Amino acid sequence: MDKLIDPLARQLTARLKDAGFRSEQIVADKVLRTCYGYDATRQSSDPLLALLPENELQVQTILRLATEKNLKIFPRGAGSGMSGGAIPSADGIILSLTRMRRILEIDEDNMIATVEPGVVTGDLQEEVGKFGLFYPPDPASLAFSTIGGNVTENAGGPRAVKYGVTGNFVMGLEAYLINGEKITCGNKCIKSVSGYDLTSLLVGSEGTLAVITKILLKLLPAPETAKTSLLAFSSMTAAAHAVNAMFKYQINPSTIEFLDHHSINAVRSELPFALPEAADTVLLVEIDGPEAQVKNQSKKLNELFKNDALLLIDAKDESEREQLWLARRKLSPAIANIAPHKINEDIAVPLAAIPEVISNLEELSREINLPIVCFGHAGDGNIHVNVMLDKNDPDQAERGRKGIDKIFAITLEAGGTLSGEHGIGNTKSAYFDKEWDPVTIATMRAVKKAFDPDNRLNPGKIFPL
Amino acid sequence: MTMTPFEIEEELKKCVKCGACMAVCPIYRQTGREDMVARGKLNLIELIKGSKELPAGWLEAVDYCLLCCSCEENCSKGVKITEIIAAARVQQTEIMGLNPIKKGVFALLKNRIISISRFVKLGSFGQWLLWQRLPRHSGLVRRLPLPGIDEKTVIPALPKRNLDDLLRKQRAAAGLQPILFFPGCATRYLHPQMGLDLIFVLEKLGFNAIVPPEFKCCGMVTWGAGDESTSAKLKQANLKVLHENAGIKQLVTGCASCGHALKDYDGRPQNCEILDISEFLFQHREKLEDLLGKRKLRQKITYHDPCHLRKGQGVSKEPRWLLNLIAGENFIEMRHPERCCGAGGTFGITHKELSRKILKEKTLAADATGAGIVASGCPGCILQLTEGAVVAESDWQAEHPITLLANLLHQTEPEER
Repeated sequence: MDKLIDPLARQLTARLKDAGFRSEQIVADKVLRTCYGYDATRQSSDPLLALLPENELQVQTILRLATEKNLKIFPRGAGSGMSGGAIPSADGIILSLTRMRRILEIDEDNMIATVEPGVVTGDLQEEVGKFGLFYPPDPASLAFSTIGGNVTENAGGPRAVKYGVTGNFVMGLEAYLINGEKITCGNKCIKSVSGYDLTSLLVGSEGTLAVITKILLKLLPAPETAKTSLLAFSSMTAAAHAVNAMFKYQINPSTIEFLDHHSINAVRSELPFALPEAADTVLLVEIDGPEAQVKNQSKKLNELFKNDALLLIDAKDESEREQLWLARRKLSPAIANIAPHKINEDIAVPLAAIPEVISNLEELSREINLPIVCFGHAGDGNIHVNVMLDKNDPDQAERGRKGIDKIFAITLEAGGTLSGEHGIGNTKSAYFDKEWDPVTIATMRAVKKAFDPDNRLNPGKIFPL
Repeated sequence: MTMTPFEIEEELKKCVKCGACMAVCPIYRQTGREDMVARGKLNLIELIKGSKELPAGWLEAVDYCLLCCSCEENCSKGVKITEIIAAARVQQTEIMGLNPIKKGVFALLKNRIISISRFVKLGSFGQWLLWQRLPRHSGLVRRLPLPGIDEKTVIPALPKRNLDDLLRKQRAAAGLQPILFFPGCATRYLHPQMGLDLIFVLEKLGFNAIVPPEFKCCGMVTWGAGDESTSAKLKQANLKVLHENAGIKQLVTGCASCGHALKDYDGRPQNCEILDISEFLFQHREKLEDLLGKRKLRQKITYHDPCHLRKGQGVSKEPRWLLNLIAGENFIEMRHPERCCGAGGTFGITHKELSRKILKEKTLAADATGAGIVASGCPGCILQLTEGAVVAESDWQAEHPITLLANLLHQTEPEER
């Protein structure tokens, strides 16, 4: 039995039990703790132990104990991140916030929800929906990722085009510093300019500055209706111009997703409608709002593209809408058939740079002789770039690695950024100094030091160790 | 039935650890523990594959699964998670043996020492010493304090006559088309009336239900518990019956788990179609609509998807069509009808507290509809839902759709106004 628990983990367990923690809140078993060592990047590194606090005082207890023992803390939501933000080190404690999942208040008069970090985003959307309210951010993982994870990664989703990303909805936070002291940021006021905006600083900080224990989220009235259309174009440039034209003609879609020709070919046979052979790029456009406005904008969309689009389908009801979205939903499993592995990056570029970047990526694909599949959020410039390869083939693996270097170079050259929604984590930290100059990085490091002088809170993320 | 180590290894490789299983796992939703969700369990199974020593944590994680298939339905990689868990349980029983209570129960299923029908009959006399009827539901609750059983635990009332006894006295009308009916243990020994209801509806549609007394337990519960040899024996016995009756083109069952198990039998007669009763009725929808005429259920009704029907067999439209037919606008969907009720074979007995927490969400969702009846095509779910209604003091009763349909068909059709 003894060999199943590390002596230090055993000591910490005893202290926490004295402080009122129950057995099911402590995962110290050497076998079970491996379940807290990975995330969606498939890296794996087992922590010393994992703790599941149920309230902020327990978070404080853990942080004080870790400070006393000089231990590292790795905050964790659902562990569904795409950049390794939740990966621990062997001498670190996982602070899993999945049991802090109460929706504390839905303030209908101020249209603000107050939640604990472990609340699942989709559950919050469902709950506020009962009050006719709407929390728009919609990362693909919303059915299982937590609000806390969404805030610390500043997650976005297709609706970012119209509504923005998670950070645009965070009004305020309560958080604990690594030493166990509490800070309060923001409030329920729409206008609020008193002092530094620490809320915005913590948003997207990837769990490196403080442990967030309470979040105030802005809500909107739920849109009356939404309408989805699918448009096919003969080239990426034509599709990009189409996106531009929509904004120019005051069409204000909530979502504009695109699929490149690799993506189209991967899902073509599974679609319930026929796509023209010449279709090179597909746009999925969703317009939401009051009934009359949606109808009007949809009409405009049809008028605008009746000649230029190779195909234009309007979903007439919920089941047709679902059919159009199938193209996007089937995509991830479908492109897995192209090659056994993929390297997936989530670069973002200015809207106008999309066609140029896509064409440069196509050239790169030829250069490294590996398929590069692009899809993502045409309306906000966030492109999911997937290099398809067999990692077990050393030559392909090497070409893939080179490809990633080039992808980032192409992106930064076009005025883009390394990550639109996944964060830097530990998977992109090696490229961080390609995007930012030394003085800027030194300033960021100084901020980190002000919050966490001993580098004990989620070390090794954002900045290279 | 059980995957080979090689197949398991290949399946495990498919998991990309995306975490999508966390969205739907009833146990993870309650515990927030990552070792208790599919991603974690697969990680653990991979970690100690081939090992002869099973650590306590592994055993617990493998035990904490309802086999509800929710993760599997939601898995974009199509990993056969429930089969992997079942295989892990086989590994466990091979190394550690079967839990003695399960061993005893499974011996009954195999008709060892004492037959299950005799066991139930003996119980039907003795049960009143310890248990009493529930005022508004079918089922029993304890009379006196009993160790490990609280005052709201519902067990089925054991009937004096099982389905085989009742059928011995019945004779089918002439000119009916034969169809096989697989009642399953729960219907056969615990709720024979439900079996009679199903047979009655089949008759009305022109079918004569053949219920071979040689049918054994479908093997789902023994498979889920890792008792491979019992499952294989039961399957062989049932396959033998199926082949002996190979001239009959269809088999129906009213039990979601039995249907799930039977549809997965390899080596069953090619020309015998296995159908859940709702699928069968849907095939005969025009005739059924004629038969029902203007008869409609006047009570509000809602529906709970049995996991082994919706996720195990992909059947969710047909039961809804049926409820729309018998209740019309009185049929109201609950929130998340697809979520597991927490019964999970023996899980509800072995992990009462957690099972009750899962059940509570279900009863709240049912309460919110204002329905007087919660329909579900699974005897296991019906028993669990009944317990949910007792615990929450809710005003609804859990019923099998076939019972509701049979009751309507027994009523006289209302006059045209």
